[in-house]
Amino acid sequence: MSLKDKLDRLKEGFKSKAPQDAQEIMHRATKNLKNSGIMDHVVKVGDKAPDFTLKNTEGQDLGLHTLLSDGPVVLIFYRGKW
Amino acid sequence: MQFKEKGAILVAVSPQLVTYNKAMKEEKNLSFEILSDPGNQIAEKYGIKYEMPEDLIKVYKQFGLKVDEHNGDDSWTLPMPARLIIDPKGIIRYAEINPDYTERPEPEDTMAALREINWVQFVQHKSGKIH
Repeated sequence: MSLKDKLDRLKEGFKSKAPQDAQEIMHRATKNLKNSGIMDHVVKVGDKAPDFTLKNTEGQDLGLHTLLSDGPVVLIFYRGKW
Repeated sequence: MQFKEKGAILVAVSPQLVTYNKAMKEEKNLSFEILSDPGNQIAEKYGIKYEMPEDLIKVYKQFGLKVDEHNGDDSWTLPMPARLIIDPKGIIRYAEINPDYTERPEPEDTMAALREINWVQFVQHKSGKIH
């Protein structure tokens, strides 16, 4: 099953169980975000990736520049486990 | 992890506190680094930080989705889910960013993008040889 299929299944389950007003609020928020023009200001192909130094799960500093010295980096921004 | 075959390093960035990132890494037995981005400061530099509207915050609280607790702040800001490929010179070669967090790219799409990029120029740069 593709990721899209799995997500579609989850969405169907959510649509049938979660309260309608809550769903409307969530959809409206996503729609407003899409229409806000935020995508006009995101980083694009060809841009220099902003450097950063952040703490990993052991509390150690890890810098993008350090990672890049070893090769290409696949960087994923993830919202959280909640 | 497949990405290693291309010599690429997979790294995740999340606004969660280190303890929550650590719990997630251990629970899911993840082999890649998860970095903590307090207040989405780095997400902001990438242009992907956004603020949740009040009514949505209320819904999340009702559902017990404790974004504030996990992030260690009251800002209720989040990063738009994003997947980027950055080459060794620090240039972004692929960017998949979606304001709709329920839509995610297939992992195969990112792998395909990784393969399509001409990495030979960097291999030559590093070792003087073509692999």
